[in-house]
Amino acid sequence: MPTPYERTPGAVETGAAARRPPRRMHRPVEGRIIAGVCAGLAEHLGWSARMVRVGFVLLSLPGGAGLVAYLFLWALTPQSVGGAVERDDGRVPVDPARPEGPARPVDQAAAVVGGASDEEQRTAARTLLVGGGLLIVGLVVVAQNAGFNLRLGFLVPLLVIAVGAVIAWSQLDDAQRGRWLGTPDGPRRFSVARLAFGGFLALTGLVIVATRGRSLTAVWDIGLASLAVVAGIVLIAAPWGLRLWSDLRREQAERARATERADIAAHLHDSVLQTLALIQRRADDPAAVAQLARAQERELRSWLYAGPSGSDATLASAVAEVAHEVEDVHGTPIELVATGDRPLDDGGTALVRAVRESLLNAVRHGRPPVSVYVEIGPSGVEAFVRDHGEGFEVDDIPEDRLGVRQSILGRMERHGGSARVRRLEQGTEVSLALPPLPTNGAAAPAGSVPTHDTTPPAEASHATP
Amino acid sequence: MQPRDPRVEVVLVDDHRMFRSGVRAEIGDLVDIVGEAPNVDAAIEVITRTRPAVVLLDVHLPGGNGNGGVDVLYGCRGLETASGQPVRFLALSVSDAAEDVIAVIRAGARGYVTKTISANDLTSAIRRVADGDAVFSPRLAGFVLDAFGAAAGEIAEVDEELDRLSAREREVMRLIARGYQYKEVAKELFISVKTVETHVSSVLRKLQLSSRHELTAWAMGRRLL
Repeated sequence: MPTPYERTPGAVETGAAARRPPRRMHRPVEGRIIAGVCAGLAEHLGWSARMVRVGFVLLSLPGGAGLVAYLFLWALTPQSVGGAVERDDGRVPVDPARPEGPARPVDQAAAVVGGASDEEQRTAARTLLVGGGLLIVGLVVVAQNAGFNLRLGFLVPLLVIAVGAVIAWSQLDDAQRGRWLGTPDGPRRFSVARLAFGGFLALTGLVIVATRGRSLTAVWDIGLASLAVVAGIVLIAAPWGLRLWSDLRREQAERARATERADIAAHLHDSVLQTLALIQRRADDPAAVAQLARAQERELRSWLYAGPSGSDATLASAVAEVAHEVEDVHGTPIELVATGDRPLDDGGTALVRAVRESLLNAVRHGRPPVSVYVEIGPSGVEAFVRDHGEGFEVDDIPEDRLGVRQSILGRMERHGGSARVRRLEQGTEVSLALPPLPTNGAAAPAGSVPTHDTTPPAEASHATP
Repeated sequence: MQPRDPRVEVVLVDDHRMFRSGVRAEIGDLVDIVGEAPNVDAAIEVITRTRPAVVLLDVHLPGGNGNGGVDVLYGCRGLETASGQPVRFLALSVSDAAEDVIAVIRAGARGYVTKTISANDLTSAIRRVADGDAVFSPRLAGFVLDAFGAAAGEIAEVDEELDRLSAREREVMRLIARGYQYKEVAKELFISVKTVETHVSSVLRKLQLSSRHELTAWAMGRRLL
């Protein structure tokens, strides 16, 4: 539950440092005889450990007060971690702010979430509980001795009920649960056990209260009757409960759906509706409209169908990116098909650039449809860029035109791949090939531009010697 | 394509009226559009009544069991035209999602093309489907290569194997993925167009019958099995 006091851990640190809290007593791991209580107390008070121990023994002899005190301190003093004391040992004059139950300010124990650390709070709560319990026990004993009849037979079960209820209800409070069960492993099981224990305590208390002073058979009869009543209630209430539960579930699902719908609406508004507005405004420019529509279509498509494999660092996605870029700049639709994928390396980057150059040629000099097919497999990478224009022969290109010769053919050869340009009956096709990844790149027959009449099987074997 | 005397009878199933009227305007002169339907139930009714040679079927449709075109395909199982040919389906979609494609193909569609296809290509695709051949878009071909592991070099030892493509089928699929028309594929591989069609139909059959785990997984995702 967020409170105005809540601060970030960093703020807590600085706040704590500024206030410099009193040193806490710890039970040292080394030099202990039983549980380190005497050693810790001695260190805390600056007394001799031997003296403290003798004192405890002497106190225990007459009425056991020393023993009780020992157990009390044992339960409430944290063990020092790793042999070293948790807190810094600034020479703060030790105020015997003994963890004496009610002596500790209540707000420190419960309310100030931000001021105290988790450990401190836990100790404080424990102190409060145990101290309070001891106080009540003490009061009861004193009252009994003084002659008041406190009807213990009634009080004890009541107490048991209260404790059970507190334990069980503490599960309801999230913060409480976090504090009590914040252990990283198996908090759920522990929480269930606690709930069961609390419920058992409370039930036992109730039974004791209800059956006080009756014989065992009567208790048995009462128990059976109550069981029957409870079973009847459960039987009758079950359908209602189930109905309520399913209603709740449906409502939750509906809310989730509504959120999703709102998300989709927001996205459509940001993308599609904006683009539609733009298209209406530029209705007299068919090229711009087509380009806008195409870009929007692609954006929506990637939003709708994008899988988890959307990394930019792969070859297939890099090819897709340049295809989209060329499409955006020139407004010519490009049909992209890719199978397989692999990480982008130097050769892959060269291939992507060559694909880009081929696409630019295709949209400038060819005619649509322009298509790209990239096949990435264990035997290498092959890419095909095809248009449906007039077509051209590499040999016809003037020597000073560097586009095809340098950007496509030369680049692929430098990276151990190959490239060729074919003139089809209709259009031109640029084929690019890269050797497989793990074997070294020099294995491919660099510079071999296959002749025009090779069939694709031969072409595949060409790329993978 | 040899000229056909009676124009192919076509039913158009798409939930967008604008798209239906667009297709009608583009190919209405080349084929005979005998009916239209905007959803699954109307589609089954219209197709059962008119028994066309080809149904142009959108993958995503309202109505039915919520599976769109797949429901139409199941609802029209075993229908025949007046001349005794089965009613054939050509899927038409904007979706690139592999599970959409695989769902309609496995439910019995004879082909899959995207809505950006040109009118001429669409007409020839319809004729091809009417003749009992299969029609693959480049994207579907790429998907087939991927799903059958052909791109990774898996090749069937014998043609009858359902879980892998034969070497020839792989080449045909590769060329289709590269944007080649059937006759260009035929020329490239020095085979006849009819042979190309045979290969494509055989790939389609494998796509429909194979239990290759990728295909099965997608089909399971759509609760078809």
